[in-house]
Amino acid sequence: MLLDFDKLGLWKWILSAICALMALFLLLPILFIVALSFGNSRWLIFPPPGWTLKWYHDLFADPRWLSAAFTSAKIALVVMVLSVALGLLASLALTRGTFRGRAVLRAFFLTPMVLPVVIIAVALYAAFLRLGLNGTFVGFVIAHLIVALPFSVITISGALETFDPSIEDAAILCGASPWEARFRVTLPAISHGLFSAAIFSFLISWDEVVLAIFMASPTLQTLPVKVWTTLRQDLTPVIAAASTLLVGLTAILMIVAALIRKGKSR
Amino acid sequence: MLSFLSQGRRGSGWGMALPALLLLLAFFVIPVAGLLSRSVTEPQPGLQNYETLLGSFTYIRIFLNTFLVSGVVTLITALIAFPVAWALAIMSPRIASVLFAVILLSMWTNLLARTYAWMVLLQQTGLVNKLLMGLGLTSQPLQLTNNLIGVTIGMVYIMLPFMILPLYGVIRKIDPAILQAAALCGATKGQALRRVLLPLAAPGIASGALMVFVMSLGYFVTPSLLGGTSNMMVAELIVQQVQSLVNWGMGGAAAFILLVVTLALYALQLRLFDAEAR
Repeated sequence: MLLDFDKLGLWKWILSAICALMALFLLLPILFIVALSFGNSRWLIFPPPGWTLKWYHDLFADPRWLSAAFTSAKIALVVMVLSVALGLLASLALTRGTFRGRAVLRAFFLTPMVLPVVIIAVALYAAFLRLGLNGTFVGFVIAHLIVALPFSVITISGALETFDPSIEDAAILCGASPWEARFRVTLPAISHGLFSAAIFSFLISWDEVVLAIFMASPTLQTLPVKVWTTLRQDLTPVIAAASTLLVGLTAILMIVAALIRKGKSR
Repeated sequence: MLSFLSQGRRGSGWGMALPALLLLLAFFVIPVAGLLSRSVTEPQPGLQNYETLLGSFTYIRIFLNTFLVSGVVTLITALIAFPVAWALAIMSPRIASVLFAVILLSMWTNLLARTYAWMVLLQQTGLVNKLLMGLGLTSQPLQLTNNLIGVTIGMVYIMLPFMILPLYGVIRKIDPAILQAAALCGATKGQALRRVLLPLAAPGIASGALMVFVMSLGYFVTPSLLGGTSNMMVAELIVQQVQSLVNWGMGGAAAFILLVVTLALYALQLRLFDAEAR
C-alpha cells in the first residue's frame, strides 16, 4: 500500500508537494544565477531593472578569465586521459586479478574520495613546496588526478563486473592473445563505462576548488581559483556570467552522459 | 561464469594496479603521513599542538561548530530526502526521471556557482529576506550570511543529492508485498510507515546520513564563504593555520583529528553496510 503511488490517497499529494518543493529548492538558485547574469543591476537586485550582456562582455574582455578557463580545460583534459588509463588498469586488476587483498586494495583506491579534500590539499601543498611542483601544470594534474581516480575506478570496475569474462575467454579460444582480447573485445564492451569515467574525471578536475587554491600561483590559476579570488572581494555579476557558462557546460556534459547510457541500454 | 583463460594462475593481475598504487603512495599516502607527522614534530617534538587544540575553548568551539553544523545538516537532509526518495521509488518513471535530472544537474553544477547563488540570495537585500519581509514574517532583514545559518542552508543544498540517491536505492528494493501484508493485517498507513517502511529503509537512512555527516565535517568552501571568520569550522582552521599562520604543527594536528574521525566513521559505514550487501 505504501509502495503503490496511486493507493496512497492524501499522502500521494503530500509526497508530490514535497518533491515539487525539493525540485524548486534545487533548481531555483541555478536559474537565479542565470537570470542575474543577464540583469543590469550591479548590486544584484532581483528581479533586475533591465537586461544586458555587459557582464559577459566584461568576462570575455578580461584576459585573466580566458587564460584561467584555458588552463582549467588543459588540466582537465590531461587528468581525464590519465584517470581513465590508470583507472582501467586498476579496475582490471581489481575485477580480473586473482591475487589476495583485492578488497583492501579497492578500499585503498577509494580513500582519496572519503578523506576531506582539505587534508589532501594541505598535505600535497607541503610536499609540492619541497619538490618545487607548486604552481606548476604537473602539480595541478597530479593533485586533480588523486581525487578523480576513485570515481574512475568505481565507474570502470562497475562496467567490468557486468561484462562476462567468458566472452574474453571465447576470443582467446578463437586465437586472440590475452591483450588482444582485452583491447578488441572487452574495451568496446565497456566503452560506456570508460566514457562515463572520462566525463566524471573531467568534471571533477574542471570544478575542483580546494586543491586548486593550494596549487595555484599568481601566474597559473584555474577558473575556480579565479572565481574564488574574485568572490572573496565582492559579489560582482561577472561571477554570475562565469557561473552561467559553467552551468551550461555541466548540462551539456550531463546530456552527453545520458545519451551514452541510453545507447548502452539499447 | 568462471573464467580461467584471461585470469591466468592464482595471484596474478596485481601488476596492473601498480601505476595507480604508486601514484597514490607517492602523492597521497606519503604527503598525508608527512603532514600528520609534523603535528608531533613542529615547532618541537611532543604533543603540545594537541594540548593547545583540545585545551582552549577557542579551538574546542571550532570542533563543536563543525559537529553541530554537520549534525543539523544531516538531520535536515534526512527529513527532506526520505519522502523524496520514497516518492521517487514509486512514482511514474517519467516524472521520476525529470526529478533525477534536476537532482543530478544541481549535484554536478560547479560548487562555487551554487555557493555564490546562496551568497546573493541570502544577503541582507537578497531575495530570501525580501520574500520573508513581503510575507510579513519579519520586519527587519535577517542576518543569514556570515553565520552558521547561512552555512547550514548552503550545505543542505549541496548534501541533499547524496542523501536522496542511496535512500532511493534502498527503498526501491523493498518488496511491496511486505507492505500489502501489513495492510492486510490491519495496519493503518501511519502504523505501516512507522513499523514497516521506516525500519526497512533504516539502513539506507543510516548509510546516507553517515556519508553526509562525514562529508560535512571536512567541508571547506561553503563554510568559509557563507560562514565568515568568526564561525570557523575545522577545515577552515586547518587552512588558516597552514596558509596564514604558517603553523604546520597546529594545522597537522587539526588535520589528524579530522582524519581519525572521518576514517572511523568510514570504517563503521563499511562494516555496517558493505557486509550486508555482500
